[in-house]
Amino acid sequence: MAPRRGLPRSLWSALFHRWTWRMAWRDSRSQRMRLAVFSMAIVSGIAALVSIHSLKSSMEDGIQGQAKALLGSDLMVSSRQAFKPEEEKSLTAGAIRVSHEAAFSSMLSFPANGSARLVQVRGLDGSYPFYGTVRTTPADAWARFRQEPGILVEPALLEQFSAKIGDKLKLGAKELPILGVVNKAPPRSNRFSGFAPEVYTGIDQVEGMGLLGGSSLSMRALHLELPATVDSKKRKESLRQNYPESSWRLETPDDRQETVGEALDRFQQFLGIIGLASLVLGAIGVAGAIHAHIARRVPVVAVLRCLGCPGNLAFGIYLAQAVALGLLGALLGAALGIGLHMGVLAAFRGSFPITVEIAPQWAVVARTTSAGFLVCCGFALLPLLRIRNISPAATLREGATVSGGRAAGWRAWPVYLLLVGALVLLARLNDPEGIRPYVLVAGLAAAFAVLFGVAKALMFLTRRLVRRSWPYLIRQGISNLHRPRSQTTLFLLSMGLGTFLLVTILLARNLLQEKLHAPDAAESPNVYLIDVQPDQITGVQDLLKKQNLPVLESAPMVTMRIASVRGVAVTELAKTDKIPRWLARREFRSTYRDYLNPTETISAGAWSKSIAGPDDPVPVSLEEKMAEDLGVKVGDAMSLDVQGVTVNAKITSLRHVDWSRFNLNFFMVFPPGALEGAPGFTVVTTKVPDSGSSGALQRELVGAFPNVSAIDLTQILETVREILSQISLVVTVLAGFTVLAGIPILVGTLLNGRDMRLRESVLLRTLGASSRQVRTILLVEFTALGVLSSLTGLVLAVAANAGLAVKVFKAGPWPDGWLLAGAFVAASGVAVIGGLLLSRGVSRHPPLEILRGGA
Amino acid sequence: MPILEIRDLRKTYRSASHELTVLHGVSLTLDEGDTCAIIGPSGSGKTTLLGLCAGLDDATSGSVKLGGQALEKMSQDERAALRNQLVGFVFQSFQLIPTLTAVENVLVPLELQGMSGRERDAEELLAQVGLEKRLDHYPLQLSGGEQQRVALARAFIHRPRILFADEPTGNLDADTSGPIVEMLLRLNREAGTALVLVTHDPALAARARRVVRMGGGTIIGEEEHASR
Repeated sequence: MAPRRGLPRSLWSALFHRWTWRMAWRDSRSQRMRLAVFSMAIVSGIAALVSIHSLKSSMEDGIQGQAKALLGSDLMVSSRQAFKPEEEKSLTAGAIRVSHEAAFSSMLSFPANGSARLVQVRGLDGSYPFYGTVRTTPADAWARFRQEPGILVEPALLEQFSAKIGDKLKLGAKELPILGVVNKAPPRSNRFSGFAPEVYTGIDQVEGMGLLGGSSLSMRALHLELPATVDSKKRKESLRQNYPESSWRLETPDDRQETVGEALDRFQQFLGIIGLASLVLGAIGVAGAIHAHIARRVPVVAVLRCLGCPGNLAFGIYLAQAVALGLLGALLGAALGIGLHMGVLAAFRGSFPITVEIAPQWAVVARTTSAGFLVCCGFALLPLLRIRNISPAATLREGATVSGGRAAGWRAWPVYLLLVGALVLLARLNDPEGIRPYVLVAGLAAAFAVLFGVAKALMFLTRRLVRRSWPYLIRQGISNLHRPRSQTTLFLLSMGLGTFLLVTILLARNLLQEKLHAPDAAESPNVYLIDVQPDQITGVQDLLKKQNLPVLESAPMVTMRIASVRGVAVTELAKTDKIPRWLARREFRSTYRDYLNPTETISAGAWSKSIAGPDDPVPVSLEEKMAEDLGVKVGDAMSLDVQGVTVNAKITSLRHVDWSRFNLNFFMVFPPGALEGAPGFTVVTTKVPDSGSSGALQRELVGAFPNVSAIDLTQILETVREILSQISLVVTVLAGFTVLAGIPILVGTLLNGRDMRLRESVLLRTLGASSRQVRTILLVEFTALGVLSSLTGLVLAVAANAGLAVKVFKAGPWPDGWLLAGAFVAASGVAVIGGLLLSRGVSRHPPLEILRGGA
Repeated sequence: MPILEIRDLRKTYRSASHELTVLHGVSLTLDEGDTCAIIGPSGSGKTTLLGLCAGLDDATSGSVKLGGQALEKMSQDERAALRNQLVGFVFQSFQLIPTLTAVENVLVPLELQGMSGRERDAEELLAQVGLEKRLDHYPLQLSGGEQQRVALARAFIHRPRILFADEPTGNLDADTSGPIVEMLLRLNREAGTALVLVTHDPALAARARRVVRMGGGTIIGEEEHASR
């Protein structure tokens, strides 16, 4: 046949032809509102993706631009011991500027009102920080505290104790005036200091307080500014090689950037998973919408094919509609995502460790919106493929005109592959390392497959189970589940997946809350008294009893290092990467006792309460994760360097420790009699009922035992809870987004079902069925669908929660039964009530109106 | 020269459990401009034959030549292109596109040929079938008779060489069907189009030059009239 001029025949050209879009627009005339509702399904998913990735990018930009300001120097060397003069000389060789720091935790008391609080004291000299700015009130205070006696404090501390600039504060035996407040602080040098407010004074003042040597939480640091030609990382490596035995901590701006980045990454990855799940849910909604739309357009496609429309052109018309639908949703989602991103930046600006510019990240917006849009189009392609199979012969048979095409068959496989590829790409965009992105996509695919399998099994079973002896209305309702054009598969996929994702998010929130409130348990302490010397133990315990506070634990602590494992020096093991480096360098604080804490359980070996003989190795119990890192098991030998004295030990048991409960827990526990002679101190724990009792205790303590520090966990936990409640808020907002994504999907699925059942119900009414009978049939059908989709979704959520609980939160795998019951009733109820509400028209409209309309 | 030639056409529907043959070796030829009515009881294979002649479905065996082109050698898209060039359709259930207005429905065959700006032609044709005041109405706003008149205009807009009409008055009452038949035959005559008409109505069939009677999936009789 001679080639004919006309409309394009290839899909690619069809998509760029004006007529395709004009026809797509015309064809949507009676469907636009319905299609617009469906496009809302992906709005929340794309908004979540755009905002999360933009936030991540803003943070990364901030961290990148302020890497040196995050550390304040080119290299920081810190140690628990003072540096020897020759070490310092070597460490600071070639540096342009050097600042010394001596820091420790101590009780700061306010003589004016007798109150006290644990603070992190930082004694500094030189012009640290070399990078970034420190802002104080008055402005010259940062320069003054190094030249004259005095102290700088955080504004919150002044507020808490109603003090003002010029007031006197007491640190140990020394009284110092407040010189000013620090509005923008220099970078923190000690991880622990994150939990206590920092105060700043001159290093010469600290030396004179007499507290530095006695504090177990003391630290010395050297801050170095290096010439531009010296690479900090290389300098760090050369120092490591020159001092392999040292326990110094060496930190460069890159390390600090990585640490800050990692912490943010974890959180953003978690949010990213929710965003991705929300997008997939939305995309399934869009696919469902297209599926229903195509089912309604079969007669139109058949007529077009009959009049000479090429298959690709017909396909192009509906692909154009799906693309427009996806684009509308994607653009709205991107706009909402930009708004969220800017809103979060503005609202949480003060909580970020860096200065973040409040501006849209256009490249990220474009990337995530396009990726989300592609995923959405990929899902929509699956039902669109059926268009190619719609025969023009459908125009000749009334019944056939609404039957739809056959399954997409082999053509669907490239689309499935494309979808998996796009999802993996999105997941890797969120979490680029390891196998987690693949596990996530595989998990979603597995959930999809389970729901699909359940739907098919339900159809198979109902086909065989329904008996003629059953009451007619129930038989009819149940049979609707397997009849041609039944909504079982789509309903189970969308409702089941929605229930699964929502309940998983709610259960994860519960796990987080559980962790946060674990220390509230009666046996969990909330005040630690540290640095209690052996001759002070009875006095401290008496002081607690006098204030009607319990002595929960009293544990001696001895510092030590691991020298060798099974006869091989740990430094050698660390060199060959057989054990993590930190294990070789770490100074462990260990204890001795003959009992197990309530937070410990023996996971291997047997608990030793005593030493067998003076020449036998000392029994030691190791925390199981540490044993795993060390690659040791029960029976293995270890030697420990206890402040210069070698102690030979044998691992007699491994313990599982619940670190979340804030009890006194240790990596290594010895039986009594092994370490009593070694220098150390004792930690005593108690539980205070309120902040008033805590304040009273701290006032008494600072007067009677100035060297003893009280760490008030209630204040620390308050800070942690505040941060986590902000995180929880963001998670809740995102969970809300998933609910928002779920609404159009639910409405769409129900509308689709309504279309399918409308004609059938009208015929029943024409044949004499009452409205009540029609409603009962629909009630049976929706109840079966609602119950089964919620049940399947819940089972999947319980499985996902068990994985999260065991692997991430280290908690028991069983979720809250009441939450599950509530979710089951809510999800099933929403399906049934929604189904009945949307089916109201079925029994309200006169049959003739619908029969004529349908014709 | 024949516009339609069918030879030994057979159509069998197969399912898992059984086979059903609905056409048993039907042969028929139709010349340019000729008119042919196919009549017979329900289930005799009339509509199946019409669908095969227009290339809407695939025959199990045998051959169909439309405008000299063997349909069995053509792909679905090639057949669609051929239909767009040569064929017009009128269906029992009108088969208008519900989201297009009357004028837009009429224009679809031309638009599929890549033509635009032919609204005037469509309006004239709609005026010829008495719908000059219903140009922008949607199918649901039109009565059954009006919908079929739009379908007639659509069938003739691209000047097809053959028109397939499947029970064109099947959904209409006697008062409405009379004018529709007259219009169909008038347009057919004016355009010199060949007509294949499937009907139950003996009076309508009698208006064709040839009447083919079908039963049990085969041609059981044929009548010819001198001229119509």
